[in-house]
Amino acid sequence: MRKLSSATRVVALGAVAAVALAGCSAGGNEGTESGSAEIRVWLVGTDTPEEARDLLKETFEEENPGSTLVIEEQSWTGLVDLLTTSLSGSDSPDIVEVGNTQAAAFTSAGAFLDLTEHYEDLGGDDLLPGFVEAGTYEDTFYAAPLYSGSRLVFYKKDALEAAGLSVPTSLEEYISNAEELAAANPGKSGLWWPGQDWYNALPFIWENGGEIAVADGEEWDAQFSSDESIAGLEQVQQLMTTASLAPKDGNETNPQVGYCEGTTLQLSAPSWVKWSILAPADAEAPGCPEEEANLGVYALPGADGGAAQVFAGGSNVAISANSENPELALEALKIILGDEFQTIYGENGLVPAKLSLAETLGTDEVAQASTAAAGNARLTPASPKWADVEAAGLLQDFFVKIAQGGDIPSLAEQLDADIEGILNG
Amino acid sequence: MTTTTASPHRTRRRVASVLYSALAVVIFIVSVFPVYWMVQTSFQPNSEIIGSDVNFWPEQFTLRNYETVFQASRAPFVPAFMNSLTITLLTVAIALVFAFLAALAVTRFRFKSRRAFILTILIVQMIPAEAVIVSMYRVLDSWSLLNTIAGLTIVYVATVLPFTIWTLRGFVNGVPVDLEEAAMIDGLSRIGAFWKITFPLLAPGLVATGVFGFIQAWNEFLLALVVNSRPEMMTLPVWLRTFLVATGTTNWAAIMAGSTLMSIPVIIFFLLVQRRMASGLVGGAVKG
Amino acid sequence: MTAPVSTIASAPTAVDGERLVTPGVQPPRFKRPRRRGGFTPYALLVPTLIALAAITFWPLLQLIIISFQEFGRAQVFGAPAPFVGFDNYAAVLADPTYWAVMGRSVAFCVVLVVVTMLAGTLVALLMTRLNAFFRVLLSVGLLLAWAMPALTATIVWGWMFDTSYGVVNFMLTNGLGLDFAQHSWLVEPLSFFFVAGLVIVWGAVPFVAFTIYAGLTQVPEEVLEAAQLDGAGAFQRFRLIIFPYLRSVFLVVTILQVIWDLKVFTQIFALQNIGGVRELTSTLGVYIYQNSLGTGEYGTGGAIAVLTVIFMLAISFLYVRQVVKEEEL
Repeated sequence: MRKLSSATRVVALGAVAAVALAGCSAGGNEGTESGSAEIRVWLVGTDTPEEARDLLKETFEEENPGSTLVIEEQSWTGLVDLLTTSLSGSDSPDIVEVGNTQAAAFTSAGAFLDLTEHYEDLGGDDLLPGFVEAGTYEDTFYAAPLYSGSRLVFYKKDALEAAGLSVPTSLEEYISNAEELAAANPGKSGLWWPGQDWYNALPFIWENGGEIAVADGEEWDAQFSSDESIAGLEQVQQLMTTASLAPKDGNETNPQVGYCEGTTLQLSAPSWVKWSILAPADAEAPGCPEEEANLGVYALPGADGGAAQVFAGGSNVAISANSENPELALEALKIILGDEFQTIYGENGLVPAKLSLAETLGTDEVAQASTAAAGNARLTPASPKWADVEAAGLLQDFFVKIAQGGDIPSLAEQLDADIEGILNG
Repeated sequence: MTTTTASPHRTRRRVASVLYSALAVVIFIVSVFPVYWMVQTSFQPNSEIIGSDVNFWPEQFTLRNYETVFQASRAPFVPAFMNSLTITLLTVAIALVFAFLAALAVTRFRFKSRRAFILTILIVQMIPAEAVIVSMYRVLDSWSLLNTIAGLTIVYVATVLPFTIWTLRGFVNGVPVDLEEAAMIDGLSRIGAFWKITFPLLAPGLVATGVFGFIQAWNEFLLALVVNSRPEMMTLPVWLRTFLVATGTTNWAAIMAGSTLMSIPVIIFFLLVQRRMASGLVGGAVKG
Repeated sequence: MTAPVSTIASAPTAVDGERLVTPGVQPPRFKRPRRRGGFTPYALLVPTLIALAAITFWPLLQLIIISFQEFGRAQVFGAPAPFVGFDNYAAVLADPTYWAVMGRSVAFCVVLVVVTMLAGTLVALLMTRLNAFFRVLLSVGLLLAWAMPALTATIVWGWMFDTSYGVVNFMLTNGLGLDFAQHSWLVEPLSFFFVAGLVIVWGAVPFVAFTIYAGLTQVPEEVLEAAQLDGAGAFQRFRLIIFPYLRSVFLVVTILQVIWDLKVFTQIFALQNIGGVRELTSTLGVYIYQNSLGTGEYGTGGAIAVLTVIFMLAISFLYVRQVVKEEEL
């Protein structure tokens, strides 16, 4: 060609520039089959103990000489956004942790590698069933359970005793306890409950016979405005307004502060909050280790006694469909689901991904409460779009308004409409 | 200022002057207080700042928060700082060169579609960046520029270009062509004339526009989060975010230390260029 | 800083020390000799055009296409995206939330622009009345506020307004004896926007003040003095002399503020993470984010973005028209 058209020239220039710039790429992602690859693992938040991280890295690098494994910590805020872009790109992480309620958004979109034929290798029917369900889409297994954790109620033994109360055995008693504690201790929270913390509200709905949403053929029918749910929401509002002095629009950050200051007498939080409370006084986020003997814990009681149906929080773990080294990633995944790695979760108060490891939780109060709670744990609606409901912050907004004393029936109706708009939209 | 005053005026003036000075002090305090609060919080132990009492001065002075953010195991400060600095300086430099050339084209030449170009530059500034992130991500991915300095730099250059061209155009317009032409009569080439005469006059303008590019690139957060997701490639705003966790324990003192560290380079940069900036701003703004 | 330059207003430019006195202050309506450059101007535009084409126009084109498609998370991972015509637009326009967000954004933007411009102008006028010491002091203060990154500024303000440990509640309670203990500033939308507005205005006033101050220094002193001798009050002097002189400065700064404030994202987004009700406090920028990245409805998000640009074009129409007119010179 003698004369390039100007368009061609522009394109050529752009290409040259792109190639030149690509030269300064960070590198490290040129994976090969010969085994000298780098596996990137995304863990979210700080739930996975340091010990487990080291174990994963060391074991993997020992078993796969020449390859390296890097753990990159991401944060829960905005995780769905970040995963959507990152998993779809060519520089995708190999293994990702994802919240169990978020998993469906990605399994349904084809973001994860099909693990169906490795189901048995990874643990088979020993894996937590609710989480296997969360990681399965249209009979294909994409995301394995990572760990589970339900919320437990932490309380000050002396405060409960001083008020002449004992550990509640029913939801009714739990509510009245919290109110009496608050009444007996002006300026303190009988139950610390910041408005954005919606996980703690779900048991009240379930225990009253309500639901979040039920599938009606292809459509979802949100249930917050059902009579049963409203009965539960009224209890929630009662607790938030009469027993809690936490910020009505606050989130569940730093629960240990009020506890250690003495202004929080009870709080419902993930099991690892125990370690935040008992952190040394000179730690970066200081706790109050002197409270150890006074720190009590129990599982939320149900309406008819026994453990309540609580929300099963936790994570799934999956291999990106865009992973450059799926075989190596699978090896790493096997370590993650191995007994040794999972035992560390158990020892740190989180429910391991395998039923057979339940006893690793130990026998202390936290462990017993965890086991009790896990036995009756429930999930959010199994819709690929549920993650979007969470990402939109609908539930936080809703409970902030409840905490402010908003009108429950009308708010619930609005919420149902919004949720249906997303789930069926 | 002026000194032509009669004596009744003088007392009135003095009162006014005291009032004005007092007002200036109030505005100064309002402007500086958040900065002060950030810095003083960063020198207190976390246990002091989260408590029922508020300290207006670090009673237990500590550098611990700075140690924390420097050594943070998940995201160390220095690499993020270097990434931010490299990307920002590259962005400013490249954007200024590109914008300068474009500003020359639209001010010194008549050509077809000149007006269309200027209109485009204006309209492009109205596009909300949040909407095009996914598309930008895919473009960078197709060029293998994810998690690179170059990728984010290109994006930032394109982001700050419209405003930079827009402002520089005013400055170049402000320098009369006659000066250049006179120099050419004296035997300089067109380029030489431009380089020796026009360019020095544009210095304040370049500084003023450079500052905007600097701030935008330094502070940008959303694209950086999505495009450079590898920890070793993160920029400072993303790094700062790692200290803000929705659940668990937020280390406010460390966040304030991080914020302070992130603000210092911008403040230094501002102090360096502020003299030229003030005069530059008018030049750019005046010529609509 | 030196005293205001007594400007040689008739000359197009003059260099006084390092101060560049620009022609626009008294806009010279002479025809700028522009050359027909043949290929040269295009060559000069090439770098810009390449950068914009790749990073701005191409994504923009995709955004427009997506806004006519059913485009969710599955499509990001490669599923085919069916065209749905104007369905996304119809859905957005029929959604009361969109109109609520729109109304809120516009109202917030108007308040922000008015307050910012007013405060910025007053600060600039104040600067002309100060002696060197106080002027430098004020400049340093403004400079610090300006230099503070928006994200860190929001975090710091959020921390100062913190419900439990914030200095604001502490001072109001312990200093003024009001009952602000545990008062949440973000939970009520109006109060949320008060805090957000404070953060934004605080960060924006320095730019406006410096720009207008720089313009003020170029208003010829003798004209002002003459007016004063003729008995014109301060307000009249501003209205009759300063404002007309700086008309174009005010126009540009106002338009920039409108564009920036209508698109405001960082401050609202970061504050929403601290507290408040998202649904009642989202502005256009945040709403677009929630609807595209947040819920994975990229088609809808695209439609909202396109509508926003059209809306901004409409309100800046007068300005755009003036630009076009000037360019015809």
